[in-house]
Amino acid sequence: MTETRKVCIIGGNTTPFDYNNYHMTIEGMAANVMLETMDDLPEFNLRDIDFVIYSHFSVHFGKQLCPEWIIHDHLGLVGVPHFRVENGGNTGGSALYAAYSIVKSGIADVVPVIGWETMDNVSQSQGAEFIAIAADTRYELLVGGIYPIFYAAGALKWMKENKFKEEDFALIGMKNRNNAMDNPKAQWYRNEHKYLTVDDVMNSRLIAYPLKKYDCCLMSRGLAIVLVCSEEYAKKVAKDSGYITIDGAGLSSCTIRAGDRTSFPGWNERYGKGYPDLTEFAACRNAAERCFKQAGIPWKDSYKYIDVAEIHDAFSSSEAQIYKALGWADENNIAEFVRNRETFMGGSIPTNPGGGLMGYGHPVGATGLMSTVEVFYQLTGKIPEKHLSKKSEVPDARVGLVNSHAGTGTSISNFILRTAEGGR
Amino acid sequence: MTNKKNLNLHETTSPPKMKIVKEFRDENTKEVGFKFVDYYISEDKTLFQAHLHYDQLYTVRSAELSPYALGLLEGKIMGTKCPKCGDVFFPPRVNCWNLDCKLTKTEWIELPQTGKVHTYTIAGWSGRSSLKRLPFVLAYVILDGVTTAVANEIREINPWNAEFNMLVKVKFVPKEQRVGAITDFYFVPADDWKPSPMNPEKERIKKLCEPVYKWVASLK
Ligand SMILES: [Zn+2]
Repeated sequence: MTETRKVCIIGGNTTPFDYNNYHMTIEGMAANVMLETMDDLPEFNLRDIDFVIYSHFSVHFGKQLCPEWIIHDHLGLVGVPHFRVENGGNTGGSALYAAYSIVKSGIADVVPVIGWETMDNVSQSQGAEFIAIAADTRYELLVGGIYPIFYAAGALKWMKENKFKEEDFALIGMKNRNNAMDNPKAQWYRNEHKYLTVDDVMNSRLIAYPLKKYDCCLMSRGLAIVLVCSEEYAKKVAKDSGYITIDGAGLSSCTIRAGDRTSFPGWNERYGKGYPDLTEFAACRNAAERCFKQAGIPWKDSYKYIDVAEIHDAFSSSEAQIYKALGWADENNIAEFVRNRETFMGGSIPTNPGGGLMGYGHPVGATGLMSTVEVFYQLTGKIPEKHLSKKSEVPDARVGLVNSHAGTGTSISNFILRTAEGGR
Repeated sequence: MTNKKNLNLHETTSPPKMKIVKEFRDENTKEVGFKFVDYYISEDKTLFQAHLHYDQLYTVRSAELSPYALGLLEGKIMGTKCPKCGDVFFPPRVNCWNLDCKLTKTEWIELPQTGKVHTYTIAGWSGRSSLKRLPFVLAYVILDGVTTAVANEIREINPWNAEFNMLVKVKFVPKEQRVGAITDFYFVPADDWKPSPMNPEKERIKKLCEPVYKWVASLK
């Protein structure tokens, strides 16, 4: 690829994430988050926006097609081009990828990515079924499958193959919820609001073995904005507040049905016969390899080159599976890697200090953007201001990873973000 | 259909004359359009909310996958096979997935109704349509001779007794209950299969299932 211009992130925020306790329309949420972002960046002007990417997964939740049209003109934007990206749980990551591509190509300079979901418009079990409509409805949805069940089926085999215990998954569930206790916008902080032990996770109700309630993410209402722009614009408006560069961006796909991963020719060619099976996330590995290469980071042991990560912990099990797909550990040492608490605050790669999907929440279209916002805060020194304390800050972090993940691993994006020179 | 270049396209009769063979819609299945059913006002009289009902009947055209649906009605598992590379698909793919086969149209074959559990889970929670069946075993099974795995329920088993690589067979629901969808069949343990003795993990799963049984019994 020919050398093209740098793409930066100069700002971003989220609404509080919540479920049933947060009455706000989508345009009200967008205005609030934009106001907070404008307050962070006094020199940024709405008039500078020359493209908007909207990030929203399921129109089922709002009973409204093209809901982005409501937000767009509410923000006073007419004439500015816009479209919506929808790509399952990786909607946020994919929308960021779209904004990145548009700025990188020179089509536009200032591109907010605005993502949301209003999942508390329906009951929990109805909501789980709505999301499962992204699985192949003809086969998987009808047999009673919802995503936690598909993931659990993959996780059980993975657990055996990687000498994992239920308690190892529980450790991750505990970590992210406890991290969220330092984050006032996190749903776990706002609602249940308690510190958990491994036993608490183990004793929570069965969702699908080996996953219990506290191994699973939260359903949420919430909105997030990430402000993507050219380097020239970043230098102009964000010199004082700090900004970051997108140094690597990888997006990859896998099958819709996990059952088709036993011997897919495209993966057999790339990674050897039988990979990823129903246990590994080939799209994550592939997206990571592409992304890391752009950023000059090796895939194997990539965690040694990254200071902080916000990844798609839809389930405690998938967080562990993602570690492997990112090259952080292999089948011989992944259990040890988790038990050594390498991804806890103070570990070699603190992961989901913002709380992740299990602690912060998972309003699907906003999720990947929430992860990006958290890494942006970490890399620009804003955690003490945005969280409650320095407890959830990774000191002097300069390289961050964002991971966004859809389906049963059907679409996955990874980004390497770095503090810009003089950007902190 | 225009197919001037004689490509091996999927074709259907045109125009198809569809004839209703069976209707089992109950009196609750209605399309009523947008309909408000209630409203709420907060105690401090500042917030308003309401419930809106909206239902939709979808036409599921099986089209070129019809041999699969028609097979189910007859108690057959119909999959597809690529005539070039030999990969066998269930769920069926109507074109081969191998890029070297250049979207070769696959051929329909009747599959054996026996297979092996590739992986599985014991579900303790599910979507609205499946709550009353909990807890149940959802397994990915590879039918004999097939390249891919298919998800479906294993019944006639205590959930904690399911295991990797266990042999299972297909069992169809009674003919009059079939609808031409995947739920027309499920898996059951193979005839000579016997559960292994209880062990700590099975005891653990059994314990996790207990409150689920209680909860389901309490559902209306
Ligand atoms: Zn073929």
